[in-house]
Amino acid sequence: MAIVTKEKTAERPAPISETSVFGWMRKNLFSSAFNTLLTLFTLYIVYLTLSGVFTWGIVDATFIADNRRECYDNSLTGACWAGVIAWFDNIFYGRYPRDEIWRINFGLFLLVLWMAPLWMAKVRGKVLIGATVVGLYPFLAGYLFAGGDKGLFMQVMISAAIVAFAINMGNMLTGLFKNVGLNTFLINLAGQSKASDKTRRNVLLGMFGIAFVAVYIWQMGWTAERVGWTRWGGLFLTLVISGIGIASSLPGGILLALGRRSKLPVVRILSTGFIEVFRSVPLITVLFMATTMFPLFMPEGFVLNKLVQVIIAVVLFNACYMAEIVRAGLQAIPKGQSEGAHTIGLGYWGTMGLIVMPQALKHMIPNIVGNIIGLLKDTTLVSIIGLFDLLGMLRSISKDVPWLGLHKEPLIFGAILFFIICFSMSKYSRHLEVKLSAGEKH
Amino acid sequence: MNEPQTTSQLASAISSEVMIEIVDMNKWYGQFHVLKDINLTVHKGERIVICGPSGSGKSTLIRCVNALEEHQEGQITVDGILLGKNLKNLDHIRTEVGMVFQNFNLFPHLTILENLTLGPVWVRKMSKAEATETAMMYLERVKIPEQADKYPGQMSGGQQQRVAIARSLCMSPKIMLFDEPTSALDPEMIKEVLDVMVDLADTGMTMIVVTHEMGFAKTIADEVIFMDEGDIVERNKPEAFFGNPEHERTQKFLSQIL
Ligand SMILES: Nc1ncnc2c1ncn2[C@@H]1O[C@H](COP(=O)(O)OP(=O)(O)OP(=O)(O)O)[C@@H](O)[C@H]1O
Ligand SMILES: [Mg+2]
Repeated sequence: MAIVTKEKTAERPAPISETSVFGWMRKNLFSSAFNTLLTLFTLYIVYLTLSGVFTWGIVDATFIADNRRECYDNSLTGACWAGVIAWFDNIFYGRYPRDEIWRINFGLFLLVLWMAPLWMAKVRGKVLIGATVVGLYPFLAGYLFAGGDKGLFMQVMISAAIVAFAINMGNMLTGLFKNVGLNTFLINLAGQSKASDKTRRNVLLGMFGIAFVAVYIWQMGWTAERVGWTRWGGLFLTLVISGIGIASSLPGGILLALGRRSKLPVVRILSTGFIEVFRSVPLITVLFMATTMFPLFMPEGFVLNKLVQVIIAVVLFNACYMAEIVRAGLQAIPKGQSEGAHTIGLGYWGTMGLIVMPQALKHMIPNIVGNIIGLLKDTTLVSIIGLFDLLGMLRSISKDVPWLGLHKEPLIFGAILFFIICFSMSKYSRHLEVKLSAGEKH
Repeated sequence: MNEPQTTSQLASAISSEVMIEIVDMNKWYGQFHVLKDINLTVHKGERIVICGPSGSGKSTLIRCVNALEEHQEGQITVDGILLGKNLKNLDHIRTEVGMVFQNFNLFPHLTILENLTLGPVWVRKMSKAEATETAMMYLERVKIPEQADKYPGQMSGGQQQRVAIARSLCMSPKIMLFDEPTSALDPEMIKEVLDVMVDLADTGMTMIVVTHEMGFAKTIADEVIFMDEGDIVERNKPEAFFGNPEHERTQKFLSQIL
């Protein structure tokens, strides 16, 4: 064979169509006369729409006014955002007493702090943090929002939540600054680093026990003023309902899915029946049933408030949808995985919790987030049965005397709000998916 | 159907202690009779190789031994414990009996080290440090200690299978079962896995190996068992089994694979 290329061929830059914006435009938008015409026509339509929206929503719009009359006096063709702005507090907090609104903000702030360590690479114990967010935070936040007398159960849960929060924060700090978990840090502090596993565990349990007792005694000294649920509303109520829905529908869905795949016929049939019934009925029907029929099944004199009924309905409904997502995820994991787990002696829960679920959950993230977004949007249905969630609040602006008949602007504002929340969730889920699949190559 | 009975001449490595005893065992998948009147005794330190045509029930037999499959009739006793519906017994059996699969069945979401320490930490309640030490020792023994932090998906098939063997050994089992451990591997990787298994045989481990690697069988087997259509057709010392098979089904099978 003869030599074909004697010298190394020099690299040349790519053709202009691959690199510059103009090149790209010429290739994709203006490649032929017809294509050019189409592009210009589309651009014109887009221009018409956007400029219309822009003029109506910004240029001609009224932002400061005391009532709808003044909006019209200012401009007949523009939006009247003043009404939405005047209702901001209602839209976000409902009719929550204005002096107590800090409690909602504080609750939200706690949640953010509580979950922040989940995004910090250096902090350990993420599973535990996640579990306390789902298992303890709702009690603390629930009391913060509702107030009133604390029963014994609530006192215990609130104290446990506060201790868990403190541990979580301590763990975050030691993780960030000392690069160790709080447990190791405390053990070293107590000079027990050489002690046996058992002693070390007892020392830690002792410390946390003391903290719990201290918090318990402290919390007996105060109560928060009671705010009835009828005053909850707006975005706050939407987030409460969907937050509880999200937090409990995933664990519920996992249990139902495992039940549906169980070897025990009774468990399997009950789970399957439950899932199929809820999946074949629209949410609005479930909501009506929950508020009208649920009380019939309850013992005499036992009155659940409407909000609790609605939340139970939302949770059950979504747990069933989650269950099907989880089941599909579980089916994607080969049987060999649980056989491998069995041969190293793991039992059913060990196999599920350590081997099958972690792998399955990763595949399920897009569907789970999709379901969460759906849940968030579906909670607007509660406005039909008389709760003043975000949508309910937005619609009542038009019945407020100064803003009588103001429909369009509040609904557009609501749409924007929902879009921001849902779109960022879906973007984040995409990011999560990429990140998790980058960690391990199959 | 008469099984050619061979009076087992126990080699010196084999103790008289019985590890596995299967008596008149039958198993069906629905209507399909997979295992028929199986009788088998395996002593401590004994190394058995099982071969036979595809679908003859070899996998099913060894999966019954560690209770991955249920049998319907007869008795299986492993390390003195009768396998039955008692779940506690089953958990105990699974920790005493290690198993290596054709497809490795490593856990892809965990590193090699985590694959190895999972059982000792969660089942044997070992401390993490101790489990890591044991794991590294076994990785050393299967000659891949430097891969401890990789994920299974980043390794070759032969390496994965050696990890799978190490994973079982970390549980310090009394019996090791192998179900065609080399048949999913490229030819150049078969040897590295077989070498590890020969080393293991040297340590006196009780082993049941389903394989068609006849050279390997000759090296390590105390006895070779031939199965066909759910029967144990022939059981013999390797020299006799390969040199002078008694049953015509065995002869036919051997002529096909040798
Ligand atoms: N879960 C099952 N359900 C029904 N039939 C099965 C099941 N598993 C195996 N079988 C059947 O039982 C018979 C024995 O299967 P087994 O896997 O034990 O064979 P084998 O000897 O290991 O074969 P191979 O060499 O192909 O692995 C086969 O005919 C198979 O089709
Ligand atoms: Mg097989």
